[in-house]
Amino acid sequence: MKRVSLAFCGAVVGMVGLFGYRAVTPSMPAFATVPSTSQSSTTTTSRGNATTTSTAPPTTVPTTTPTTHVRTTPTTPTSAPPTTTTVAPTTTTAPSTVSRSATGASVNYYFGVLSVDVTVTGSKIVKVSIGSINDGGNYRSQSIDQMAIPQLEQQVLAAQSANIQGVSGASYTSAGFHQSLQSALTKLGL
Amino acid sequence: MSSTETRSLHSFHRDVEVMGTVITIDLYGGDARDEVITIRCVDAAELALQQADEIFSTWKAQSPLSRLRRGDLSLVEVPDEVLEVLDACRSARRASEGWFDPWSMPGGVDPTGLVKGWAAERALNELKGLDLSGAVVNAAGDIASFGGPDAGQAFRFGVVRPDSPLKLACVVESPGAVATSGTYQRGNHLVNPFTGEATSTVSATVAGPELGLADALATALAVAGPAGMGFIDALEHYEGLVIEATGKYVKSQGFRLVENLLD
Repeated sequence: MKRVSLAFCGAVVGMVGLFGYRAVTPSMPAFATVPSTSQSSTTTTSRGNATTTSTAPPTTVPTTTPTTHVRTTPTTPTSAPPTTTTVAPTTTTAPSTVSRSATGASVNYYFGVLSVDVTVTGSKIVKVSIGSINDGGNYRSQSIDQMAIPQLEQQVLAAQSANIQGVSGASYTSAGFHQSLQSALTKLGL
Repeated sequence: MSSTETRSLHSFHRDVEVMGTVITIDLYGGDARDEVITIRCVDAAELALQQADEIFSTWKAQSPLSRLRRGDLSLVEVPDEVLEVLDACRSARRASEGWFDPWSMPGGVDPTGLVKGWAAERALNELKGLDLSGAVVNAAGDIASFGGPDAGQAFRFGVVRPDSPLKLACVVESPGAVATSGTYQRGNHLVNPFTGEATSTVSATVAGPELGLADALATALAVAGPAGMGFIDALEHYEGLVIEATGKYVKSQGFRLVENLLD
């Protein structure tokens, strides 16, 4: 049972990582993901609120160490992203009431490939969803995804609202989810 | 992005793909000028995790643990880490009154229920020399930490609600380590060491100072169910929470829910 609890139950994954998101700071990681096939640098939100565009170019940098990224946070509250090639969205002076969206890079995960859409208001994540997913269509993958993905989406939001720095519990699929989410946030300059 | 209201003291994040999952390392506070030292320490933490995987993987046929289980290695030939972990397993078996028992596994001794927490705790130790307000190593939901997001604050961790995975069951203030074990999502995979039968408890969380033991105790508590609160209450510094399939929950006397979303 231990083995199983390590690989599966334990697979409670990088939920921690998710919680970095509420903490998104101005400087972004040089984050490595599978380059998206559709790196459209302009995405729009169609979700009711003010719609603006994000013109940040894709900032994911393919590297040979795709699971590691470093976020260096300036200790002073400057807003310039100092350490990456990230170009901040040119919708300058965007008040915090304006919603912006981006689609993260397509990322390989255990069962296939997925990408994540994120919508933010100011620097707050207000919506997270799967932009695209290809899990090979087999039953087991799909049933796990059906469980895991809503949970992942919800936990990102819950983490923001509950002011927490991690989640204890089981989930799957989260590594890829979290990588793509990070890249979407990077596109938004967050 | 120009908004500052959500600015936090989160200063560093890394994902480590290891042990068949992703383990995340997050640092809070500290001085960005120490970047070189920070990366060096995080590298050491990552290495500790990778080494633990090399030694203890039951999936890798040539890992020392796999060889021990097959009888290719004797206890005098295994790395010191194996002896250390087996020693911790004996302590956990005692502390859990037998509900955690790596020696009852088919296929030979299997300390996996403790190893992930033990490894995360080792990784965390590599970060203690840094000037930080706190650090978190989250080994796929089993969390080791010290300090907090800011001076004088404790980390707050959510516990997933097993009967409704879209929600958190509660939020706890971290005493250092928080581990959750359970039967949800993947179906039942925990076995009662006394009867050999599968168990019905849905989710068990243990919070305490050290993650190796907390991890093992969470496994034990998930197997024992509410009846396991006896051994949890008998332990100093460790607290437990069992959530059953119905959403009903039982907690040890000292388990404090900062936010209770169950009632």
